[in-house]
Amino acid sequence: PQIQSFRAGLVGDFVNMPILCSSCAEKRAMLKRPKTGHSLCKECFFWAFEEEVHRTILAANLFQPGEIVGIAASGGKDSTVLAHVMKLLNDRYNYGLELMLLSVDEGITGYRDDSLETVKRNQQQYELPLMIVSYEELYGWTMDAIVKQVGLKNNCTFCGVFRRQALDRGAIMLKVDKICTGHNADDVAETVLMNVMRGDIARLRRCTAISTVSEGDGVVPRCKPLKYAYEKEIVLYAYFKKLDYFSTECIYSPNAYRGHARTFLKDLESVRPSSIMDIIHSGENLSVRDGVKMPVQGTCGRCGYISSQALCKACVLLEGLNRGLPRLGIGKHHRLHEKLLSQQPLTEKEERKLKSVDF
Amino acid sequence: MAAPIAIHLEFGGGAELLFNGVKEHHVTLPSQSEPWDLKQLLVWIQRNLLKERPELFVQGESVRPGILVLINDADWELMGELDYQLQDQDNIVFISTLHGG
Amino acid sequence: MCQVDEDYHDGLDRAEVPSVFKKCVKCKEASAAVVIRAGDTFCRDCFKEYFIHKFRAMLGKNRIIFPGDKVLLAVSGGSSSCSMLSQVQEGLSQNAHKKLRFLPGIVYIDEGGVVGQSVDERVRTVAELQAVFRATGFPFYVVPLEQVLDLPSSVVVMAPSSSEQPASAYKEAVDQFLKSNSGSCLNPKDQDPTSLPVVPEAHTQFLQQLIVSAKTLTARHDLLNTLRQHLLVHTARTEGYRKVMLGDNCTRLAIKLLTSISLGRGAQLAQDTGFSDSRYGDIILVRPMRDYSAKEIAYYNHLFNVVSVFIPSLDTKTTEKASIQRLTESFVTKLQVDFPSTVSTIYRTSEKLQTACGSSSTDDSSDRCLLCVCTLDTSGENSSSFQATLTSEQLSQTKYPARTKTDRLHPAPVELESSVPSGSCCSSGGGEDCGEVESGEGCCSSKEPEKTNLKTLLCYSCHLTIKDMSSVEHLPQYILLEAQRRKRRSKMREEISEFLLDDGVCFRVGD
Repeated sequence: PQIQSFRAGLVGDFVNMPILCSSCAEKRAMLKRPKTGHSLCKECFFWAFEEEVHRTILAANLFQPGEIVGIAASGGKDSTVLAHVMKLLNDRYNYGLELMLLSVDEGITGYRDDSLETVKRNQQQYELPLMIVSYEELYGWTMDAIVKQVGLKNNCTFCGVFRRQALDRGAIMLKVDKICTGHNADDVAETVLMNVMRGDIARLRRCTAISTVSEGDGVVPRCKPLKYAYEKEIVLYAYFKKLDYFSTECIYSPNAYRGHARTFLKDLESVRPSSIMDIIHSGENLSVRDGVKMPVQGTCGRCGYISSQALCKACVLLEGLNRGLPRLGIGKHHRLHEKLLSQQPLTEKEERKLKSVDF
Repeated sequence: MAAPIAIHLEFGGGAELLFNGVKEHHVTLPSQSEPWDLKQLLVWIQRNLLKERPELFVQGESVRPGILVLINDADWELMGELDYQLQDQDNIVFISTLHGG
Repeated sequence: MCQVDEDYHDGLDRAEVPSVFKKCVKCKEASAAVVIRAGDTFCRDCFKEYFIHKFRAMLGKNRIIFPGDKVLLAVSGGSSSCSMLSQVQEGLSQNAHKKLRFLPGIVYIDEGGVVGQSVDERVRTVAELQAVFRATGFPFYVVPLEQVLDLPSSVVVMAPSSSEQPASAYKEAVDQFLKSNSGSCLNPKDQDPTSLPVVPEAHTQFLQQLIVSAKTLTARHDLLNTLRQHLLVHTARTEGYRKVMLGDNCTRLAIKLLTSISLGRGAQLAQDTGFSDSRYGDIILVRPMRDYSAKEIAYYNHLFNVVSVFIPSLDTKTTEKASIQRLTESFVTKLQVDFPSTVSTIYRTSEKLQTACGSSSTDDSSDRCLLCVCTLDTSGENSSSFQATLTSEQLSQTKYPARTKTDRLHPAPVELESSVPSGSCCSSGGGEDCGEVESGEGCCSSKEPEKTNLKTLLCYSCHLTIKDMSSVEHLPQYILLEAQRRKRRSKMREEISEFLLDDGVCFRVGD
């Protein structure tokens, strides 16, 4: 699919007259920008892409000089481009940031072990320190082991929840001030659509924010410098710059509902390429009616991590895994939280309900 | 062998456009070894009545999402949908709820 | 990268197959005829009662239609608006305590000229609808879309709302109405039974040129929606109606909501999809059908012989990817098959929204979109999708400068401010420099309407539509004239701004 989207971005292959770069008006254009429809040569594209990330960082005031910034690095295209551009801009514009790579080892054989190799090469290429935190160390469970117990239907819930905490814990160990993630414009637009489709008004309101302020102890502020960068351009940038990235999909990720949103977004983009930015604009300008109930953020009674319930999601999931009751964290079982906290035994009926899992 | 059956078909809400604008059709389904069910009826309609753009009426082996079906004035969801076995003199209505007709 | 960064509950239920030959959930006696959402099955009679009750309940809950109000029903001929018409008739024929107490009229906008109907077809369609309308005994207006060409500019200016009607006044109004006026007092105006206004062919052609000048079906749709709404509001005003009822059903609104999001209309969502829409000030649009699914309506119309007339639209027989509107419709209806709560979940989102910008308290029209009359959503902060696109446009057209090493993260970049102009009417507009310096008139009052000239007068989404047009010269005069007026005014304001102590607050230019 990456090859395809790359081809779709090229112009001039099949026409006799080469199209000139709309920026320098000298060189032959190599790609058509989906966001604006302009055609650019390679050099002008690099400059525009980097400059846009720079201006995003400035406009949103994402960093302060002297900060230690952890780049969430998975070895995939987004985080590789992010690491590359952050390093480049930090040097070019004297941001004065101390950058480092932060990776999570979920323990997925054949996927993460390979992508971590990519991150390790990135570490040398960009001369940035690297820290890897593993699920196994943190939770005592690898994703491989989790999938064995919960099957392929809900495994993404586990992985997502655990990753968020893992990044925070890694960041705290490294005394990092901020984490930046490789979320791109497509990801943000897709999340807007997802939240509308789920009627999740609380997340709908939050999901377009470019950065989160520190939400409490144990949670490191995060930001998305690539928020306005199209996935297509990220792939093109990585391709033309010959960046070293790992491009296999996670072997455990058949998330049906998100898949629908993704397909819809790609279709929208093909009808009107600016759609992705348009959806983000929509998300940024929504607001919620007064009186609509929003969850109150508190902290987890067990690990102290931020949580809107008595127990945080990760602790509930973990409890479920350790007790052999994997459904515990999947449905809504808030009422059981108090019981779990005080270590009261569950009734037989409750146990039976939580055991069954559709594979 | 099941005998041929006569049924009444009706298309509305724009679905009739795919049938030359004709809303009502009295048709006779030929005899065949097994009884006719709705799934087979859709195939038969596609071969014998549908004038254009079959994908705007059928998708996969069912009707396109957004087209409602009534069997003898009852929701087809109550009648077993595609597995419903047609009876002589049945009245089957297809109503499109889509803007695209 | 993996997309699961937030934990989601798998809250959406998959389709359940209802068992065959169920009993009605309500009376538990008769056998079921219709399956409503969540697998509820109703028999014919209970379905009818439920359907009728829902209409009155919707109006009762929202208390926007007052007794004695003149309410214009916008009937397109489609199943939803025809069902709405039948519900109003039903409500007026009920006994005293359930009776609806407003005075309905009907408007039909004949769009045949732009959806490719011949004159004969238009005459036939109108005749068919007139028969339906006449049978109701309500006054009705058949308005060809061509009349949009003759609208006054006041249509795109928010009018001051005539008089406040607090909800507390509702009961009083009911009592008063009952005292003064117990019987039905509909006096349909004497109408020529064949009163189809003659449409000059040149008008139809002009309208067609306008629609065709939009290069994408997405933009054509949007343009048509805008024009239709202007004409509806104008008809209501001239005929003395204060409320307009639209037939949008729940399925349609879910599609519209997702479409609006995709078109960048997030800020206008609440008006576009809520129960009531007061963007025009004096005329309030209401959507009483918003609790019914398309399925419920189709079944009701079929079972109880509600006549509707199928009229082709711009979408008819187009492919899935023909337009964003069409693509969204197909996406939602397909998803609904596998996840039956899709429509209701999306639709419920609309009830929790309100505009970020809020309804502006100023009666100044300059902060309203020239086309959709919503509050402008383009004055956002520096860090926004809108600014990011402007930055991209600008960077894609300028040669990159020789690099300096002096740029720093802090203090705030001077370079950014100067290179991304905002506010000035010609800002980064697609490379078409409109030559402020040469033209003595100033950049904005050129005779030729330019796409870039309209930019600052439009909301984000309406600007996208205009961008998809080959030229704006085919826009109706009332829009172009109002654009010029606003341009002149903003120029004037700019000129005198330096003499003002408090910019904007105490400054009003009367027209």
